[in-house]
Amino acid sequence: MKCCGPGYASPAEAVKAPSEKLLYTIAIYTGTGIQKPDYLATVDVDPDSPTYSRVIHRLEMPGIGDELHHMGWNACSSCFDDAGMSRKYLILPGVRSNNLHIVDTATDPRAPRLHKVIDGAEIKAKTNLSGPHTVHCLGSEIIISFLGDAKGEAPGGYLHLNKEFEIQGRWENSMGDIKFGYDFWYQPRHNVMVSSEWAAPNTFMPGFDLEEVGHLKYGRELHFWDFEKREPVESFYLGEDGLLPLEVKFHHDPDSTHGFCGAALSTNVIHWWKNGDTWLWEKIIDIENEMHPDWPIPLPGVMSAILISMDDKYLYLNNWLHGDMRQYDIRDPHNPKLTGQVFLGGLLGKAPTVNGVEVAGGPQMFQLSLDGKRLYVTTSLFSTWDNQFYPEIRTKGGVMVMIDCDPVNGGMKIAEDFIIDFGKEPNGPSRCHEARYPGGDCTSDIWL
Amino acid sequence: MTTHTVTITNRNGATFEVNSRRPLLGQLRDQGVDLPYGCEYGGCITCAAKLTKGEIDQRRQVALNNRQIEHGYVILCVARATSDITLEIGVESHDKLYRNPFLDPLQPHELKADIASPKV
Ligand code: FES
Repeated sequence: MKCCGPGYASPAEAVKAPSEKLLYTIAIYTGTGIQKPDYLATVDVDPDSPTYSRVIHRLEMPGIGDELHHMGWNACSSCFDDAGMSRKYLILPGVRSNNLHIVDTATDPRAPRLHKVIDGAEIKAKTNLSGPHTVHCLGSEIIISFLGDAKGEAPGGYLHLNKEFEIQGRWENSMGDIKFGYDFWYQPRHNVMVSSEWAAPNTFMPGFDLEEVGHLKYGRELHFWDFEKREPVESFYLGEDGLLPLEVKFHHDPDSTHGFCGAALSTNVIHWWKNGDTWLWEKIIDIENEMHPDWPIPLPGVMSAILISMDDKYLYLNNWLHGDMRQYDIRDPHNPKLTGQVFLGGLLGKAPTVNGVEVAGGPQMFQLSLDGKRLYVTTSLFSTWDNQFYPEIRTKGGVMVMIDCDPVNGGMKIAEDFIIDFGKEPNGPSRCHEARYPGGDCTSDIWL
Repeated sequence: MTTHTVTITNRNGATFEVNSRRPLLGQLRDQGVDLPYGCEYGGCITCAAKLTKGEIDQRRQVALNNRQIEHGYVILCVARATSDITLEIGVESHDKLYRNPFLDPLQPHELKADIASPKV
C-alpha cells in the first residue's frame, strides 16, 4: 500500500483508529440577542485529561451573524493514497452571511486558527449562490451545496473550490428539474451522488411555517446524479412519506449501493439501493406522531439527522421534538430493528434534565466515534427554528451530551460523567451544533 | 430631501434622523446602532424589529408572514421610513415574531403574501 495521505485505507481500518481526544463543534450567537461572533469550540473528550468534558478553546469568526451550521474537511479518506494531501483545514460556512471560513486545525489542534475567509459577497457575485450547507471533499477538489441563488430563491447549486480554496465556479453542469437543495453524499464506485431537499433560504431562514409545506415550499424528492457528468438523472417523488428529506448517507463500504435519508417532517427513514441497473426505494422506519396534551396538532418527531456507524451496522436518528435518540440495527437494511433509545430534552417532558443540566431543545446533531462506542449529541437545530419550538434556549443555551453505545449487542445509555452546558459560556448562552474530530469521523469520509 | 425621526424605545428613547430613500438598517448602523442582520435583501428575518408608531414601506421583504406584519414587525434591511417612526429593536423585540406552528396554526390569510388567501 502506498502511504499515506489523510484518513484511513478502508472503513474497517477507520474503526480501529485510536479514540478521539478532541472534538470541534460550532457554537452560535446568531439569533440569540447576544451581539458576538459565532465560534468554533474545541472540546476535550479525553477521559484522562484534567479538562475532560470542557470547552478548552474558542475561535471567534471575524464577523457577527454568520450562523455557522455544518462544516467539512479539505481532505478525507478519498485522498488516502495521495501523500501530498493532508487533513489540515476545516471549512465552516455561514448559512446567513454566505462567508466560508477556512480554519487551520493542524498547526495546533487544540487551538485552531483562521486561515482564510472566502467572502460571501464574492461567492454571490461569481456563482449566484447563497445559503451554504454541506461540504464534501471530492479527492482533488471540494464542493459545497448552496440552497439558494444570490436572492435566496431555490434551488441553488454547488460551489466548486480547488484545494487552495479558490472559487472555480459552479460544480454541476445542470440542476435538471430539481426544485430544492440540501444535503448530498456520493459513492464513486457506482458513479452516483444523491441529493435531498429542504427549502429555499427565503422559506426556511425566517422560521418554519408548517402551512407552507402544503403550498409545496418544502421538498419531498430525492435526486440521483450521474456523478461524472455532474447532472441529475433520476428523481424519486417520496410524497407524504418523504416530507423534508434532509440528511443523506450511503453505507461507508464503497462497494455498497445502499443508502438512507431521514425525512424530517414525515419522521421516516427512506432506504434506497440498486437492483441490477435500477434504483429502488422504500420506507423502512416510520416514527408515529405523538399527541401533546395541550396542543391541537399531532407532534412529529422531526428527524433532522441520521448517521451510519463506520461498520455499517447501526443507523442512529433523532426526534428533535419528541426528544429521543434511537439506534437501529440495519445489518438487514430492509428490516431495521430498534436496539437502543434514550431521551434528552424534547417537548414531551420525558427528560427535562440530564446530568444536572436543564436541557433546552432536543437531540439534534450527533457525531459517533469511529469505533462506534461514543455518540456526541447537541441540541440546537437552527436559530430561528430553535426560537419557535424551544424559546427557553435563549437563556439556557445548548448542551452537548455523550451517549455510550454498545456496538456489539446494541444499546444506548447517557454517560454520567460528560456534559457541556453552553449556557455557561463566557459571552453568555450559545448553541452548539455539528461536531467533528481532527482525524475524520463517521459523517466526513468517503472511499474511492 | 425628506428626513424622518426614528425613536428607539429600548435604547432609552434615543432618536436618529433618516431619509426615506435608503433602508433603515444601513442608516441606523451608520449612526452607531448595533443591529443584527444577515442577508440584507429581506429574506432571512435576522434584522426584524417592531414598529410601534408611524409608517414604513417594506414591499421588498419576503421573510414575514401576514401575522408577523399584523404584529408590527418590519424588516429593517429593506424597510424605508415614510413618516417619523418609533421602533423596538433586536431580539428583545421578537416576543411575537416566533410561534410554535403545532400549537398555534396560521389562518390562510396569515400566510406569507405570495400564498395568502384574502381575509374572509
Ligand atoms: S438581514 Fe436578512 S431579512 Fe434583513
